[in-house]
Amino acid sequence: MNKVHSNTLYWMAITGVLFPVLILLGIFLRTVQAGGLAPLQSWFYPMMTLHGVGMVGVWYVAAMAGVSQMLTRYVEPTPLIGRVAIIGTLLGVGLLLACVFFGRYAAGWYFLYPLPFKGEWPQWSTVLFLVSLTVLGATWLLWSLDLLRAIAKRYTISQALAWHYLAGRSEPVVPPAVLITTVSLIAGVAALLSGVVVLALFYVELFAGTSNDALLMKNITFFFGHTLVNLTMYLGVALVYEVLPDYAGRPWKTNRIVAISWNCVLLIVLVAYFHHLYMDFVQPGVLQTIGQIASYASAIPAAVVTIFGALLLVYRAPMRWNLASILMFLGLAGWAIGGVGAVIDSTISANVKLHNTLWVPAHFHTYFLAGLCFMVIGYFYHCCQQLAEQPENRGLQRIAATLMVIGAYGVFAMFYFAGAFGVPRRYSIYPAELAYGAKYAAAATGFAAAFLLGFIVYLAETGKRWLRAVRAAP
Amino acid sequence: MRRIVLFAAAALLSASALVHAESTSADGQLLFEQKCTACHTIGGGARVGPDLQGVTTRRTREWLSSFIAAPDRLIAARDPIVMPLLKQFNQIPMPNLALAESEVRTLVDYLEAEDSTAAAAAPPVPAAPMQQPSLIAPQSTFLTLFLAFTVVIAVVFVWIGLSTRLPASVDVKRAYGIRRVFFIVGTTAAVVLLVATVPLAPYARAGARADRVVYVAARQFDFVFSDEPITSAADLAQVPRIANLEVAAGTLVEFRVTSLDVTHGFALYGAERQIIAQTQAMPGYFNRLLVRFDEPAQYKVFCLEYCAAGHHLMQAQVAVNQQERIGP
Repeated sequence: MNKVHSNTLYWMAITGVLFPVLILLGIFLRTVQAGGLAPLQSWFYPMMTLHGVGMVGVWYVAAMAGVSQMLTRYVEPTPLIGRVAIIGTLLGVGLLLACVFFGRYAAGWYFLYPLPFKGEWPQWSTVLFLVSLTVLGATWLLWSLDLLRAIAKRYTISQALAWHYLAGRSEPVVPPAVLITTVSLIAGVAALLSGVVVLALFYVELFAGTSNDALLMKNITFFFGHTLVNLTMYLGVALVYEVLPDYAGRPWKTNRIVAISWNCVLLIVLVAYFHHLYMDFVQPGVLQTIGQIASYASAIPAAVVTIFGALLLVYRAPMRWNLASILMFLGLAGWAIGGVGAVIDSTISANVKLHNTLWVPAHFHTYFLAGLCFMVIGYFYHCCQQLAEQPENRGLQRIAATLMVIGAYGVFAMFYFAGAFGVPRRYSIYPAELAYGAKYAAAATGFAAAFLLGFIVYLAETGKRWLRAVRAAP
Repeated sequence: MRRIVLFAAAALLSASALVHAESTSADGQLLFEQKCTACHTIGGGARVGPDLQGVTTRRTREWLSSFIAAPDRLIAARDPIVMPLLKQFNQIPMPNLALAESEVRTLVDYLEAEDSTAAAAAPPVPAAPMQQPSLIAPQSTFLTLFLAFTVVIAVVFVWIGLSTRLPASVDVKRAYGIRRVFFIVGTTAAVVLLVATVPLAPYARAGARADRVVYVAARQFDFVFSDEPITSAADLAQVPRIANLEVAAGTLVEFRVTSLDVTHGFALYGAERQIIAQTQAMPGYFNRLLVRFDEPAQYKVFCLEYCAAGHHLMQAQVAVNQQERIGP
């Protein structure tokens, strides 16, 4: 086993520990909203912040870890940079935990300017949060650049983006996973650089006392946050492109349509973030319209090329169903269903009724939890099983998948229904007029617990293979 | 003559005392709003810190003054009143606001005046939880559309998954034909939806004229309504506020919404307690939100952009009354 593979095993352990803890935080949030745990109610917003930053971060690094490992089939990422990514991420997480638990920092995962400076938490916890993000951002930027370097060593940029397929040539062969990873990493570098800019502006205000423009800061923040979340999703899709054909016994290759599709995604993902600013009426109208066009446009390559392609791959294939292939197939369904919720919300005239209601966490939980998470944990199981080669307990694997699906979609349903009624997201307690929001929150805790149970079964199945793989490591 | 002079002097003194009392109260209110409302209310319930209604009856004036002037000193001295409060409010200490002695005095005077007013008034009745209403349009359409698409996607995935029980080769050319149709239908639907929905965007056009303009200044954690712009905390003392916003049914109101601190949301919930319109309240900008209030009811405003510990308490009301009949 090479060092990149051993790094991946570390990332699996980190994900396996952090994810259940973050699920528990999610259950805590919904329990407080349901009217329970009253003595801990004041921890709601700090825990909401930790849950949000944590989930976005965990799934970004998990997807990056999966892709780093997958790329070794074609290129050579630097193992040392992979190790630096682990250390940097753990350091950033440590700082984050300190600012939330000791400083009660609670400005939310996207730290909308100028809230970090104007909350009830002490200034030092804001500084610690910014330092934490700086460490994470710098680490992830380095990691992304190293993967791009590795790709660039074997392919030219035009080849990695499959432009020769647009001209009708199919040599050199570029696997779809390399194309999608390249697209995602370029978008990722852009996102992380914008993160650097927004952090620099925060530091300037902090130390020089100059104030920033709230609209500009919001634009940069959402360019960073939206793009990072989207590219994380695409990294998961890259893993599916790479692995699902192994189970279907059929190839899934790059062709002209796939090349056009993913090059369009690169352009679209960079401007779709405008939909986060629909309710800022002072934003120029043309940007709002571009936001809706880009949001609609992003659905077309996803649905017509990737999801259709995946369904075609599986249709009447001699499919080998196990935990990996089941989860990846379910992940595509989650991506599609979450996409529908997202497209509805990205319509300006609908957004005015849904913005910042529970409809928003509804759709991003759908494509993150039932989409990306399923894809990545499916891939992790696939890797562990390849290394351990243990007999599989199909019954247990189906139980794990079933519990996670029932739990996840139950959680989402509670979000969607309450969101349609206008129940706000990020309320620790609902006002009398919207008190029925508590009923949905209470039901959601039960579904989340079912998901957690399913994930524990998954962990048991994957964990024993992981242990064997670790023992086999040099 | 001497009597008249004495009477005039007494009247002058009383008048000046009255003016002084009023100005002290106004100064106190302003100071309270600028320094205290982020964490405290008076009769509005606990936020980050306790509700201060009745605080002057629970604590001595001396203790209150010393705590407001230097809370950090009392915390360091492990004051027996402060420590249980600190525990109750999750160890979030009150910061030292570096207030001048005169400001502390003004604040304590204001709290005392508020307590004597509250003592004369009837106690507030907490709002009872309300039943869930029926879902209104267009929200019901969004939910129905979403559920319909979800069912279709689920059916397709189940069908494809089950198809693997009978493996067979696939006619790829035919599949690509289906994909072409899928692409054309999907793209056409997207374009039609765009053309149909973009003109429905809620943005006020340049020449749009409303029946009434209301300025809204959002701040942690309430909304201030006024007929004049409020662009800074200092304006709060200069600009007359609308204590109870009332409009006649059928009125087209333009809300010019800004914020005095962080970004807030300004979401109007109608008679069915569901969102009818919203915009953001952003520091440094005025967002123009035009709303026609068709139905007489008590409309609520909630903040929908997370703005710190009192976010869920941030609300206001708009009373929409039956339009008065003109003529006999």
